[in-house]
Amino acid sequence: MKAKLLKALILAFGANALLFVVFFFDLDGKFLFYIYEPFMKKHYDEMPRRDMTKMPYEINKPNVEFDV
Amino acid sequence: MKDLKKLVRDFWYGKPAEEMRMADLYIQPTGLYKHREWRGVKDTFYYMYMIWGYNYLHMVMDVMKYGSLIDFVKGLWRYRWMGQTYIPVLHWFDRGLEGLRGPALRGSAWHYRAMVCSTIRQFQTMFQADTKLHGGKKNDHYYHTLAIKETFWGGIFYGWSDKFIAQPLEMIPYFVTCHVNSHVVLNYIDAAQSIGLPGDPCPMCQAEEGLFVLDDVPDYSPLFFTVNEACDGSVGSTILQDWFFDKPLFALPMTMQFDNEEVMKNTMNEIEQCWAFMEEQTGVPMNMDLLKQRINEQNALQEFEWEKWDVAANTNSYPICGVAQALYRIYQSQYGTWGANDIWHQTDKKIRKIMENAVVNKINTFPKTRHRVIAWSCAPLYYSNWCSWAYNAWGLNVIINMDSLMFDMTLRTDTKENILYDMAKYHLWAPMRRMAVGGLHHIFELWAYMERFNCDMVAMYDQLQCKGMQGVHGLFEDEFRERNINAFWVPHALPDSRTVSRAEIRKLISDYMSTVMGEEPIDPSLLDFDDSQTW
Repeated sequence: MKAKLLKALILAFGANALLFVVFFFDLDGKFLFYIYEPFMKKHYDEMPRRDMTKMPYEINKPNVEFDV
Repeated sequence: MKDLKKLVRDFWYGKPAEEMRMADLYIQPTGLYKHREWRGVKDTFYYMYMIWGYNYLHMVMDVMKYGSLIDFVKGLWRYRWMGQTYIPVLHWFDRGLEGLRGPALRGSAWHYRAMVCSTIRQFQTMFQADTKLHGGKKNDHYYHTLAIKETFWGGIFYGWSDKFIAQPLEMIPYFVTCHVNSHVVLNYIDAAQSIGLPGDPCPMCQAEEGLFVLDDVPDYSPLFFTVNEACDGSVGSTILQDWFFDKPLFALPMTMQFDNEEVMKNTMNEIEQCWAFMEEQTGVPMNMDLLKQRINEQNALQEFEWEKWDVAANTNSYPICGVAQALYRIYQSQYGTWGANDIWHQTDKKIRKIMENAVVNKINTFPKTRHRVIAWSCAPLYYSNWCSWAYNAWGLNVIINMDSLMFDMTLRTDTKENILYDMAKYHLWAPMRRMAVGGLHHIFELWAYMERFNCDMVAMYDQLQCKGMQGVHGLFEDEFRERNINAFWVPHALPDSRTVSRAEIRKLISDYMSTVMGEEPIDPSLLDFDDSQTW
């Protein structure tokens, strides 16, 4: 029982220490800035997009059927 | 021995302000930190568990509370404004909360938390109804969501809030992104100009159009309600949105001048027409009791806001920093409430505790304060946290700002006539209308508010692409001189950080403080640093 409690305490302390390192040294920010964002940016830059200017501009709008 | 004592004291309480050297923590020009600020044991661990950890955790929990994790991931992958801004949101906290301690840190952070929660509710509302994320299918959520322009007060539809969610179209894709990651909006501004639109109108309108040009807007509603606020630039963007969105549209006018009973009557009539359009389109009548209930809930928020203003005006114990005050207030009053236990009401309860504790114990929440500043006109969205910098560098404490003071009213609920009258008034007292382009009488309410909040200095925003405000620049110069008021200008182009950089804004303020005021900085490291790549 004592050993289990000690193990749980050490585990909790270790997890908190790890969390503190990530927090204090801004490791979340560094990951997002250097890895996550460039990857996502590339993805969005390469995404095929509709040419919205090809859409006709109509005065009559579609009828909407509501069932609420 | 003395050094050791100081070391222990700095560890326990954090370094005194004049020894902080905040900019030494930055990895220039990224805005990242070599390490986050050490605020003493209590506040550092409060920040770590109750702000950083708490918000990361609740960002996940709120996503599940207000929609599905799958829709969230799909939205993240589909929309640039989502993927590039949602994740680095904790850095937005960091920038706004720099240098704060004790109640000021806690109160300001809860304001940020409320804005994040509301943001999550909003994008999840859009994503769960979005046909682009559901293979073109118009699901049940689609038919229960209303698209409204971001400057359209959500409260107009309180009477349908049991069946429909009124969701601002650009508030998250445009407004929020500018604050969290200032680079994203540049894609949309450039996109608007890429189809031949001129580059000199308000960049807010350009960005709103650019979202459509890049097909980066969720399709989440069968209807669209719009308004001509702030100006004719918004009329222009509505024309383009009408083209690209292709939905039945109702345009609710917002007059430029509004101190007139005929205008009030006309606006009341327009609101009734808006309700009639809603009923005609959806077949659902408005629930007047529900409308009154929501208005009363909103009034409760306003009444607490008045209590906050009273503390801000008359004590040194107000626990909200300038940027948190401005953003929370504009966000909450524009979006409206969604129930007596929504995040705004929950936050206000927490703030009441923090504020009362600070007042009772006479805690000086901003001890570095040298000047009490009122910020006037519209702020730079890419540098809304300039006031945190100004506080740490020069002791400029922004007590209140124009955006907070717009909707300075409660609404009556006794008769339909009074409800309509007050709703019309609230609608007309919108951001960028009541005091910015709403007439000389209102723009010069600055002097009265300056006195009411015991401010000795004005931070005067100068939105370089706002034709309305450019027209009164000289008048302000004259008035400042005549009234012998210390005032500095903050030029900017609203969301576009390329026109006036953050560094230029800082330099202008520092020049004013050193040459005109003849003062020395509190933290000299903050006078010159490169943050050009900062989110």
